[in-house]
Amino acid sequence: MDRRERLLNLLAALLGSRNGLTTEDILSERSLGYEGATESARKAFERDKKSLRAMGVPLDQVGSNEEYRYRVDPEQYYLPDLGLSSEESAALHLAVTAISLGNDDEAAGQGALMKLGGREGDRAQTIAELPIVPALAPVYEATRRRAPVRFRYKGEARHVEPWGLSSKRGRWYVVGFDREREQMRVFRADRIEGAVDIGDDAGFEVPDDFRPEAELTEEPWQLGGGDAVSVRIRVDPGRAADLAARAHRAADVEWQADGGVVVTLAVTNVDGLRSLVFEYLEHAEVLDPPDVRAAIVAWLESVVAASSTEPG
Amino acid sequence: MSPRQGAEDELTRVLALVPWIIAHPGSTKPEIAKRFGVTVDQLERDLWLLMMVGVPPYSPGDYIEVDPEAETVEIRLADYFTRPLRLSPTEGLALLAAGRALLAVPGSDPAGPLATAIDRLAEALEGVDLVVDIGEPTFLADVRTAARAGESIEIDYWSAGRDEMSTRVIDPGPPFFAVGQWYTDAYCHRAGENRMFRLDRIRAVRATDAAFTPVIDDAEGPPAVFTASDDDTRVTVLLPPGADWVTESTPVESVVDLDDGSQRVVLVVGATAWLERLLLQVGPGARITDPADLRDLPARAARRILARYSGATRTP
Repeated sequence: MDRRERLLNLLAALLGSRNGLTTEDILSERSLGYEGATESARKAFERDKKSLRAMGVPLDQVGSNEEYRYRVDPEQYYLPDLGLSSEESAALHLAVTAISLGNDDEAAGQGALMKLGGREGDRAQTIAELPIVPALAPVYEATRRRAPVRFRYKGEARHVEPWGLSSKRGRWYVVGFDREREQMRVFRADRIEGAVDIGDDAGFEVPDDFRPEAELTEEPWQLGGGDAVSVRIRVDPGRAADLAARAHRAADVEWQADGGVVVTLAVTNVDGLRSLVFEYLEHAEVLDPPDVRAAIVAWLESVVAASSTEPG
Repeated sequence: MSPRQGAEDELTRVLALVPWIIAHPGSTKPEIAKRFGVTVDQLERDLWLLMMVGVPPYSPGDYIEVDPEAETVEIRLADYFTRPLRLSPTEGLALLAAGRALLAVPGSDPAGPLATAIDRLAEALEGVDLVVDIGEPTFLADVRTAARAGESIEIDYWSAGRDEMSTRVIDPGPPFFAVGQWYTDAYCHRAGENRMFRLDRIRAVRATDAAFTPVIDDAEGPPAVFTASDDDTRVTVLLPPGADWVTESTPVESVVDLDDGSQRVVLVVGATAWLERLLLQVGPGARITDPADLRDLPARAARRILARYSGATRTP
């Protein structure tokens, strides 16, 4: 018997059996295509179980020891009818083709469309690339199940309640409560190392007013949780519009007569401030406070000094 | 692909198309094949397979009824397969991510069919939603309109690599988002060839009288954002421990992790201003080892900036 045929028959039998089927039930049913209780039939059944699970079939094993019964709970198996109109189906088709998520995930998006009734309407030209990283799917599943996850991040083991997922500037972030640090934390999904271990379901609750995007700090100088210092930066004409545009939501912006701009930023991270100021090279200057200005000067002097002591 | 994965993929497709055919009796084979992205031959093979499927007690009336040779397709007695298999986490995530991302593209209708479809999907996935922000550079709409209509535009553009402003006439291609930024692949009249422009670096857009023929067919998707050219210099940099953010955020040609935690990287550099910025951010621990004439590049940049802090000179 064709293996696909055997798998479809097995799935139909498991879906139709209210109390589940034992291995013996399955192997002895000639119409299912196994060759009785032989070793090779058992192996074939093991392979088929694996295949069904790999396809996402919720294959349960109930009962104890000698009396294992297998079943597929229709409630768990069937996709609820989303009641999509043909315009809605066509819109999803456009989305799956317009947004490139990386090869495997594009196939997954197409697979989802098929389950929702195939492709309606035309495909779109790709207008955005937003690659999904491997850690994202298990974390998403855990978020859905309200299950805490364990993973390695920056070389450390983390135990996190994943409250939500968000994407910004082309990167995916996991926002959640770090159980060991007892704080909200943001994790870059592409920096999660290795496998994500999903814990028990319903392990936490997410407040109704939680918004993952609110936890993503906008800019490098806002990273870190220290007290904010007001820092004034001047940028010359030419680059002034760039800083003004970048900072407009986060800062006071004063335009100057010569076309330059002075912005006042609330800075919690001086490393991040450096990366902003050096973006503008000699076209920008930290005006005050004096200690931040001095720190920038000291940094630059250390770069000059390193060069003069360099061998060769 | 191993035979087993092949079988799983085929079955996944069969389980998806059966419910649709049951709900739309009398559809033609070409119609179904197009909808599910298979050939008519493949569809017929799927239908032959279905004929072999039954449920206990496997008497003749317990088998799926289908005539693979008829013009139009009907399936009966496939009670267990009237609804599709639920979405896998990967599938649900992919569909939701693509939908949310397209909705985030400026100009999408926030109350249109995509929005309502995504809401239904998020609800079916038990209320877990995604938030996608892909930014909205000031001139995105202008560039998009010009690209669509085939109107050449004059732009003021800040070139980050050379740290200079320029004004040029371009024939923009459709804007696209990649590696966290919006770009247009445009024909630049000044350069006489296509150039990649970052939309957030466009400072002004002015209409011109010139027109061009927009490129419409682009099945290949957007062009690659980073391509090295022959004019580029390869620069070898020694990065101190803790500066691995550089290789995470910058395209590098090669990286060697050294025993003491530092890294030797080769960067492809078109213009030096961005390398100055990068190395000033890394600080005194960074060293350019090759080419020799760039070794003091960060120090020179640091002196230029320091001059402004000392008050001795002031950049106009």
